[in-house]
Amino acid sequence: MNQEPIIEIKGLQKQFGSFTAVKDVSFTVRKGDVFGFLGPNGAGKSTTMRCMLSLIKPNAGQIHIFGKNLFEFRNEILTQVGSIVEKPDFYKYLSARKNLEIFARISGTAVSTKTINETLDFVGLSGRDRDKVGGFSHGMRQRLGIAQTLLHQPELIILDEPTTGLDPQGIIEVRDLILRLKNEQNKTVILSSHQLAEIEHVANRMVIINKGKTIIEGSVSELMNAQETLLSIELQERSQDAFEFLQKQFSALKVEVISPKTLEMNVERNMIPAVNAALVNAGFAVVALEPKRTLEDFFIQMTQS
Amino acid sequence: MLWKNTYNEFVKILAKPRSYIGLAALTLLILIILFAMKADGRMYISFVTASFEQTLSFNGNILNGNLIAFIVLQMLIVHIPLLVALVTGDLLSGEAAMGTLRMLLTKPISRSQVVYSKLIAAAVYTLILVVWMGFLALIVGRWVFGTGDLIVLNSDGLVILNYADILWRYGLAFLVAYLALMTIATLSIAFSAFADNSIGPIVSTMAVIILFTIIGSLDVSVFDYIKPWLFTTHMASWRSFFNDPVPWKAIWESVWILLAHNVVFVSLAIFQFKRKDITS
Repeated sequence: MNQEPIIEIKGLQKQFGSFTAVKDVSFTVRKGDVFGFLGPNGAGKSTTMRCMLSLIKPNAGQIHIFGKNLFEFRNEILTQVGSIVEKPDFYKYLSARKNLEIFARISGTAVSTKTINETLDFVGLSGRDRDKVGGFSHGMRQRLGIAQTLLHQPELIILDEPTTGLDPQGIIEVRDLILRLKNEQNKTVILSSHQLAEIEHVANRMVIINKGKTIIEGSVSELMNAQETLLSIELQERSQDAFEFLQKQFSALKVEVISPKTLEMNVERNMIPAVNAALVNAGFAVVALEPKRTLEDFFIQMTQS
Repeated sequence: MLWKNTYNEFVKILAKPRSYIGLAALTLLILIILFAMKADGRMYISFVTASFEQTLSFNGNILNGNLIAFIVLQMLIVHIPLLVALVTGDLLSGEAAMGTLRMLLTKPISRSQVVYSKLIAAAVYTLILVVWMGFLALIVGRWVFGTGDLIVLNSDGLVILNYADILWRYGLAFLVAYLALMTIATLSIAFSAFADNSIGPIVSTMAVIILFTIIGSLDVSVFDYIKPWLFTTHMASWRSFFNDPVPWKAIWESVWILLAHNVVFVSLAIFQFKRKDITS
């Protein structure tokens, strides 16, 4: 992974009158990251994202994007950024194509009709491009929003809740799209979402903010692996024997028999392969190992502590 | 980027149904006035000239296109500000209400350029309204009623202008009327920069016009100092071109005051819009 920082935010603060929306947010996004931006409602995510796009001026702190101060080199920076903030809103009285043409014209990059056609095709709207956006469903607007984000081939893509309102197929498509942007085009993506499983699937790094402050930042796998998780072990049979075996092998860990075929144990995520190997080598038929601690548990623990 | 976004503004204005309300209303109103004048104009004219008939004899086509254009201008210049504000008051705040302002301002275009491009679009739209009004009132009016000398009743009495001495007056009168309407446009854009909804700036603009007009018409000495500086005082300056001689000094004063208002309103719009946090 390239370590070149794309976004550096330090000590960001924003007040609206007497209300402090962001107290002290700092994080770094590196080139090629799919960066999860997490926080409960009211944590300051939206305000931070709006600051990153110069929609809101912070009271204090620094925002550097592509190594440049956002507020000094705003236009130069935004030429290389594609974004959806909160939800994509369009001119309802214009067609999808006209909307894309409007945003393409001021994107700072020459966008050809061919590119518009390809992008519409990419998001599955090529047959509806002449229809007015006013008649679009939320999911279709979301797709159009993603098309608008990608039109000018930006280096950095900021997506605020991009799967809101999408059906399961749409969610999978957006997830695949994000992974393709990262893997095939080495784009940097910042993704905020309440679908924590979604972040877990696509993000390699993340930050959690709460009450306007950064709680934790780092690699998703490292943060998750360093945490103890509840591991559900499903066997073909002999859970009592497996229980005794695991107690001997991993005496420091808590193991519990749930049913004749199921055990649960508390274990650090990075120890799961070792547990699996030990069971298999001892002749137990392991059907499934399922870590029950998800990003959601981690998120709740972090934001409530 | 300014011209690209200005082009975008024209695309949006052309596609918005409300943009045509002004033109449709204007057309309908003028056609009603033309119809009324055709049907009952002689009586209307004799009512005005009755008080002079003992001393003056009126010959020729008094009810002509030139007089119709003057009547139309006088009647509609009060109402056209609403039609202008209906479109210009929505330019910034309408985008905020729709959420498209958020999309627009994440693009590499400065906020000043956004205001300027909307101002240019508003100027062109207002110009189209004035030109359309001029066409219907003067060209169609002359076509329906013919031409002739223009008789105007103003505060100094009756002014009779030779038909050959009229067109340039109309040209300049429409120009000053345009400047007055641009003042309305810039005022509503300034309000639009403060608001996040479409209706607020339109209502605020009309409220200011009504308030200033009432202050201007109140014969109270306490307002005498501010009356000359209110833009509403100069909204009807176009009428001065139909005086003989033309009071050029007063007209230039009006033009400067209207221009100053335009500059102040645009500066206010840019100042507010540049510092505004986009939370919509």
